[in-house]
Amino acid sequence: MSEDRYLTFALGKGRLADRAMELLEQIGVTCPQMHEKNSRRLIFVNEELKMRFFLAKGPDVPTYVEYGAADIGVVGKDTILEENRNVYEVVDLGFGRCSMCVCGPAGARELLLHHERIRVASKYPRIAKDYFYNKKHQTVDIIKLNGSVELGPIVELSDVIVDIVETGSTLRENGLEVLEEICPLSARMIVNPVSLRMETERIQRLISQIRSRLEAEGKDGRG
Amino acid sequence: MNKDLLHTPEGVRDIYGGEYRRKLGLEQTLRQVIARCGYEAIQTPTFEFFDVFSREVGTTPSRELYKFFDKEGNTLVLRPDFTPSVARCAAKYFMEDRVPLRFCYTGNTFTNTSSLQGKLKEVTQMGAELIGDGSVQADAEMVSLVIDALRAAGLERFQVSVGEVEYFKGLCQEAGLDEDTELQLREFISGKNYFAAQELLQEREVAHSYAQVLLKLADLFGDMHSLSQAKALVQNTRSRRAIERLEAMDRVLRLYGVEKYVTYDLGMLSKYHYYTGVIFKAYTYGVGDAVVKGGRYDNLLHQFGKDAPAIGFVIVVDDLLEALGRQKVDTAPPLQKYTLTYGRADFESQLRRAIGMRSQGLCVELVPEEGLRQADCAGGPDR
Repeated sequence: MSEDRYLTFALGKGRLADRAMELLEQIGVTCPQMHEKNSRRLIFVNEELKMRFFLAKGPDVPTYVEYGAADIGVVGKDTILEENRNVYEVVDLGFGRCSMCVCGPAGARELLLHHERIRVASKYPRIAKDYFYNKKHQTVDIIKLNGSVELGPIVELSDVIVDIVETGSTLRENGLEVLEEICPLSARMIVNPVSLRMETERIQRLISQIRSRLEAEGKDGRG
Repeated sequence: MNKDLLHTPEGVRDIYGGEYRRKLGLEQTLRQVIARCGYEAIQTPTFEFFDVFSREVGTTPSRELYKFFDKEGNTLVLRPDFTPSVARCAAKYFMEDRVPLRFCYTGNTFTNTSSLQGKLKEVTQMGAELIGDGSVQADAEMVSLVIDALRAAGLERFQVSVGEVEYFKGLCQEAGLDEDTELQLREFISGKNYFAAQELLQEREVAHSYAQVLLKLADLFGDMHSLSQAKALVQNTRSRRAIERLEAMDRVLRLYGVEKYVTYDLGMLSKYHYYTGVIFKAYTYGVGDAVVKGGRYDNLLHQFGKDAPAIGFVIVVDDLLEALGRQKVDTAPPLQKYTLTYGRADFESQLRRAIGMRSQGLCVELVPEEGLRQADCAGGPDR
């Protein structure tokens, strides 16, 4: 609606943010400030394009976007599912592919075949609960952990875990395996519903540029 | 002192002082605009029988309702929104009326939403319902009324997104989708979740040509141009009629002179299933969600035994107030208040002065002197 307002991006810290900036640079959205070494800046500005960027912890990205503190966010699908915020998920960016899985020792496979109660450890209690309650109709005790979830079955805290699996090497090294796949994951671009209405033209242009760029790369969708 | 007594439960809060003054001022402004178009105020009960808000009616999901029981064991519900109540009321008292009925209301609504998302569970809503008029003119009246109300409130930068649920329903019918798929698809498309929608359509083996059109829905928003684009995409009469309806409404909105605030979004679908035609939402900076929601609900009154088309909207007053605050729009002038202090000797003369000033319409507060405050408050001064 107005070119004088900054369009603000919240990027999930780490690899996700680097890949997202690479992609944005390919469509002409650059931010030289971000490449400055040893900078203590928290927010990076491109005055010419009237765009601002900041890095945030993954689970906070949907929160910033829901409240409109950021107009656009780049974050993993796992975070979007877990946080369940009111945001629009507009582009599958194609990178950061992995999947959400139920994992455990081979012997635990049997436990998933019946509806009996099991213990599930996860960093993603909402996703785990949704999967077991609504898809598998199995009663579960969910234990929220904050990291090294693989420990759960090893020290017998839980029967299985629900976690992100990329290559599966950590699992194998610890004698665990993928028992069931819950859903595929990848990085997504999310948009605040109000921003999409108020800045329709700018955001729509950005989305279609990214989509056509991704199609050109052949990374788009499942194809 | 018991400190626990001072807290309110999560999701509800006290509103006082300048904030409440601004809220009351805002409500008054909005009410005047709505009343000017002939809307008569109506008050419905804060709680009603569960059936009024049940699944068949298509309102808030049951698990988000505050439920309790009366002495006979009936389930009662704190109202999550007004529209079903007003529809019930209209059906009950105006069963025979054939002229359009115009109602407006203000009150608090209650939804038991999930915790820690910073959303209030009790919010003030103000709304209007136009019952018994199914015309395009009625649609336009509602949309322009929303725009007038927001402008009167002092908001300048906002957009009203208008959609038509019939367009989507027509498409689903044409593609032969079952109800389950339609419901899921509705959720994905209204969340503009292009990829989940794509996956669902592949999984359900929907014909490619239809899938392409349905997927386009998430992107179909913008000005009038997007409408003609949308029209070219469909063959079925139900969807085409929906577009023609919006085109006709656009012509009336131009007569009101409010077209610059309106954009079209055919992928916008409400979570309330009672909507049947035009739906709209108003968005502005400062709050994460729409500040006004509304639409046509031609079948809802039938549930209560009266066949009448109807359309309505609701302004979420608390959200609008928040948006105005963030955009630094002042909604109420600061209160002009005089303070008169009295001692043991001059209470009578000060009281007389206060009465005199109050009769001239001034706001006067009488305050005892420092020394008098703690002593005999029960008996008054100078006893």
